[in-house]
Amino acid sequence: MHAIDLIRQFPYAVATGLIIATVCSILGVFVILKRVVFIGIALSEVAACGIAASLMLGLNPSVGAVAVTLMAVALLAYPYELRRIARDAVLGIVFVAASSASLILVWRSGFGLAEVKSVLYGDLILAGPADLRLIICILGPIGLMYLAFVRPILDSFLDRDASYVMGLRPAIWEWLYFILLGLAVAMASKIAGSILVFCYLVVCPAMGLIVSKRFWVVVSISAICAVIGTMAGLFAAFRWDLPANQTACLACCAILVIATAVMPIWRRIMAASIWQGNNGGSHA
Amino acid sequence: MAELPIIKLEDVSIAYNGQTVLADVNLTIPKGKLALFVGPNGAGKTTLLRAIVGLVPIRSGRIVTPFKRSRPAYVPQQKTIDPLYPVSVRRIVQMGLHWQLGWWRRPDRQARAQIDQVLQWLGLADHVNKVFAELSGGTRQKVLLVRALVSGAEVLVLDEPTSELDERSEQEVLKYLRLVCTEQSKTVLLALHGVAVATSIADLVCQVEHRRVQMQQPACHKLHKTGFQTCTQ
Repeated sequence: MHAIDLIRQFPYAVATGLIIATVCSILGVFVILKRVVFIGIALSEVAACGIAASLMLGLNPSVGAVAVTLMAVALLAYPYELRRIARDAVLGIVFVAASSASLILVWRSGFGLAEVKSVLYGDLILAGPADLRLIICILGPIGLMYLAFVRPILDSFLDRDASYVMGLRPAIWEWLYFILLGLAVAMASKIAGSILVFCYLVVCPAMGLIVSKRFWVVVSISAICAVIGTMAGLFAAFRWDLPANQTACLACCAILVIATAVMPIWRRIMAASIWQGNNGGSHA
Repeated sequence: MAELPIIKLEDVSIAYNGQTVLADVNLTIPKGKLALFVGPNGAGKTTLLRAIVGLVPIRSGRIVTPFKRSRPAYVPQQKTIDPLYPVSVRRIVQMGLHWQLGWWRRPDRQARAQIDQVLQWLGLADHVNKVFAELSGGTRQKVLLVRALVSGAEVLVLDEPTSELDERSEQEVLKYLRLVCTEQSKTVLLALHGVAVATSIADLVCQVEHRRVQMQQPACHKLHKTGFQTCTQ
């Protein structure tokens, strides 16, 4: 059984997974840098809450997920650094409220628990052509906008005060980033599940930051880790009949663990070779 | 001929959480002058500078600045840049060019040459491709100063930009700032703790204490025009 069989049998799952992996992992670099790791899981729960509310009201689940997530983003994008309460605490409150509300809404919806769970938390391997279309239409522009605006977003996050004085409007760029993140998480969680999206937002960028200290290299490695993890996870799930989302998560974590173990050795070898080169040069 | 004011504060009061930090501040800083803000910890030097650049709202009064048509450059006091960010010295310095380049364009050859020149002046030419977080505290401060200097701003607002520098580096930086004032007619607002060295290069000394700001003539006023010299009165 080869990877090609996986692509042949689940082309939509593979394509959808790769797009979600790439966009979420590059967005996730700022989730780590801004130290708001919990935002990934909180927004996923908020999206699930929106889906549950839509099911109750007979609306389109995607519309509900996006609407409720954008409301949460409006709350979370506020510069809490300037207030008594930290953003982490707000994220915790949002997470608790959203996860409780979604369960209560599900309870009242009259659907079977397994059915609602699959709608709320998604399964990547079940992604169909409609999911792929939705992901291309929403995540494609999000990824492109992020890449186009990454410089002012980086400057705003890097030094808020100085960028404000220089005429950049950090509040606007922060809001834009959180809106892009909220939309991406809302759409991706519905299809790939909250844990896998959280993995792309946190594990893959962490891998990038372990390997490099250059922003664009970190972004690239994060995306590469997410793509390899997704492919490996889907293949393993296909080969050994495992749950796809969790297997892809484990594959990304395994890559991170290997990188963490290998990088210090690699750096030592590089430092030794540079030292040797310098030493040899001086003798010559 | 009367000196043209570039920054004017009229009856300015600033409060945090209902508590007055500065009251009835009246201050005129002419164009091309180096104004030094001195005072004990917590006197309100940083608050005053932050109010001038628009980071802190004022409770009453008026601040007249040219910042709508020409943005100032600002070096904050605190270590505002998180060491987690994987950015190079060049990237940090290029932030200073935002007003000229906007958020999209990359610096051209002339801008890059300007950056290299200022980096060279402050002895940072070898650090340009290094990761900002891996530099020493003093070198990081110099990098932030370079970011302000390359911006082309008419007004530089520097909040204790030499607090982590050794004595020699501090003198070099102050000398450079004096030169920037004299040769490029830039206005520099500088908050400092170690006033002994700095008063010799300042045109104005503003004493910030007990919620008031008092403007004084520097002790060694006549020495400063030709550049940095030690006060020998």
